[in-house]
Amino acid sequence: MSVSLPPRLAAVWQRLPFRAMLLVVLFLFIVKERYPFSNFPMYSNVDEEADILYVTDQADAALPMDAVFRTGSGTAKKMYKKELSTISKSAGRKLETATTEDRAAAGRAVMATIVERIRPKAMPASVSQLRLYRKTFRLEDGGLAHLEPERLAELPVPTP
Amino acid sequence: MSDSANTINRPWWQPGPFDWSALEMLLMRAGFSALVFYTIKWETGAWTTQKFPNGIAHFLDLTWIGQSPPGLGLKALTLGGLALYVAGWLPTLGLLPALFFSIVIGTLGNSQGAINHSTQMVTMMLLAQFLVYLIPRGPGVEKPADHWTRPGLTAQQQAIWWSTVVIAASYVVCGVVKLTNSNFMWLCDAPYLAVQLLKTNWSHYHDTLEMPPAWLQTVTQTLVDHPNLARLFFGAGLLVELLGFVVLINRRWALGGGLAIIALHLSISQVMSLNFLTHIFATLIFLVNVPGWLMARRPP
Repeated sequence: MSVSLPPRLAAVWQRLPFRAMLLVVLFLFIVKERYPFSNFPMYSNVDEEADILYVTDQADAALPMDAVFRTGSGTAKKMYKKELSTISKSAGRKLETATTEDRAAAGRAVMATIVERIRPKAMPASVSQLRLYRKTFRLEDGGLAHLEPERLAELPVPTP
Repeated sequence: MSDSANTINRPWWQPGPFDWSALEMLLMRAGFSALVFYTIKWETGAWTTQKFPNGIAHFLDLTWIGQSPPGLGLKALTLGGLALYVAGWLPTLGLLPALFFSIVIGTLGNSQGAINHSTQMVTMMLLAQFLVYLIPRGPGVEKPADHWTRPGLTAQQQAIWWSTVVIAASYVVCGVVKLTNSNFMWLCDAPYLAVQLLKTNWSHYHDTLEMPPAWLQTVTQTLVDHPNLARLFFGAGLLVELLGFVVLINRRWALGGGLAIIALHLSISQVMSLNFLTHIFATLIFLVNVPGWLMARRPP
């Protein structure tokens, strides 16, 4: 079975440059993020602020997230944004106007997910409490400012 | 080195498959098989839910693969299928297990609330090759039965060609999205990427507790102090993405464009600690194609 285009459309199609690639570009552009398809939007919209998420122990000493939680800081941050978006949307707010409570609720949700992935052997024995922090960097006055970290959630290390 | 008659008879802006030899394509398939197997994130144990479904996870519950990660048997089945594909026998059937696990595991991983972009391109290349082998189409392609059991040179060239099309399209769409998502202000806003540099390096620190090298602080501050330098640096990367289609013109452009893409990834890896090894290897296999160039230098 073959599909034939109307003559005028076929003539346009024949003249298109790099037409197979153009078709794939158009498809990916429209479909966006539906695995395995992607429009690869990384760093497509940048502004003067960026933030990270990280986990510390009860003394605010950082823990290696890859080794302990099988979840990197970048992945935790994306999860947090997704949670925050859902929480603030359900409260009728935009992501940018999320409240401290919204952020804490999103932080608790992220923490609940990543503690499920703990590798007990990688967790230092001295750690009794886990804290999730969000730290923001901002470009201001010709310099890069590190804003005071915000504690989003805290919970005891779950017993295996 | 020449390109196929198919390409020579076309204008440069409407290219087709190159004249890859059978041995060259065998090596490409072998390299690609290793890449596919490496790209699949077999350790699915951490993904027991799909709280933020993506792709087919909107319709299907894929958490079963998180609850019972594929064992040796299923990995052996995937490897066996890939071996068939490398040999050029029953490639549709051979690619099926790898395609299945690539899509199911990749979708489940991206349904955890964080979308990671390291595996999509390879999975799309796999899907493109699977479709070429599944649907016999175009001049020089055998009857379906022969095409499915042992596809000929033309079909093999089409499979490789569509892989290069996927690579080119992935970079072009990435560049286009940078322009559209930023209301065409991306280059103007490029100095803000210095903040992203700082962010990714601190993020890497919290992943591993390894401090970023001191020179990165200098680079970041230099980009803040000299916004036009930042535009030049990041603008070069945007250009590589937007001009990604040139790799389809002929072998020389594929080599040049491929090396530019690899240089882009290596520089991103250095300054942002973001490694796209799967993209680098896919580019090495299909665009840079060292064995193809070595074979072309050998006297007849």
